[in-house]
Amino acid sequence: MSTTQDLSSLSDANLMRLEREIARKHIDKFPYFAVIWAFTNLACWLALWPLVFTGVIPLWLAFIVATFNVMLCYLPSHEAQHDIIAKPGARLRWLNQAVGHLSTIPLVLPYRVAKLTHMEHHKHANHHELDPDISSSASGPLASLWTTFTSNQPRAKGGFNAYADTLERIGRPEVVFDGVIYNIIFYFTLFGLAWSGFAIEAALLWWLPRWIALFYIRYYLSWAPHHPAKEQSRYRNTRSFRSILGNIGSMGMQYHIIHHLHPRIPLYRTPMAYWEMKPILEARGAEVGEL
Amino acid sequence: MEKAIRTLFYFGPLLFAFGFIAPLVAQTITALDLLPPFGLSPLHAGLIISALMGIPAQFRGSWI
Repeated sequence: MSTTQDLSSLSDANLMRLEREIARKHIDKFPYFAVIWAFTNLACWLALWPLVFTGVIPLWLAFIVATFNVMLCYLPSHEAQHDIIAKPGARLRWLNQAVGHLSTIPLVLPYRVAKLTHMEHHKHANHHELDPDISSSASGPLASLWTTFTSNQPRAKGGFNAYADTLERIGRPEVVFDGVIYNIIFYFTLFGLAWSGFAIEAALLWWLPRWIALFYIRYYLSWAPHHPAKEQSRYRNTRSFRSILGNIGSMGMQYHIIHHLHPRIPLYRTPMAYWEMKPILEARGAEVGEL
Repeated sequence: MEKAIRTLFYFGPLLFAFGFIAPLVAQTITALDLLPPFGLSPLHAGLIISALMGIPAQFRGSWI
């Protein structure tokens, strides 16, 4: 199919058939890169601690690396959340779960919390009460950054606090405990390091990189692909967009519409699927004008 | 147990202020070779700054 083909005369059923044919080509491909990425990224971040404490690398360099590590830690878990690495019952299911659980440790985001709330985001994208990520919506880029800051304050209603409300609503309150444990470990590790004389190291290897990563992840994974977050229909609740950092710099989110339509397509195949599906998306009235 | 955890999280801003900001400020003052006013030690300066930040944050539920 040509990317400039006009398919607007096709029926909904035919458009859906074509869309599914394309999606099928990209689903069930093993995301080698995401698996390697998950473990390499975590190992790199963990290695920074002894390397800094023994003076092998300077703290300023470790801070830059740690910031990238925390920024990059979410997406492999996201592949696992959608069972892209291995479906339930598959031989490599343990690997799917290991990636899911381990990769987001630097972000202090438990896998079960991430997975259950992310599924709710898919079910209710842009719904002002049911989408756990709706607090990312904002009028523009700067407002989005400000919203990330305000919605992650101790008693704010949005950010990670909204995830606890979502877990209660869907009848999984016991999963909130995962978040409690993660947070207790995170903060008491910071306190322990700080009162042992390593406050600056703790701040620059974990606390500040995590905040920078939160801004980046909320901006590119939540705000940009859903902006203006007004519509909830299948083809209008997300969009394609052109990032000034390119597709890699925006962690593959330029083609986020493909992910919402077919969540089991691995991240690395969403650009290919997008260009193949673009005429269908245009015929469906999706917002794909920027790319 | 749940009540203890809720209490711990309720006092999160104060815990963060005295558990992290105070030693962070003190060690930053020392690392930058700064001299706190009124003859304060770096740790005393850190505790005062963390109290000035943490107490309002505790009441407001927000650091800003």
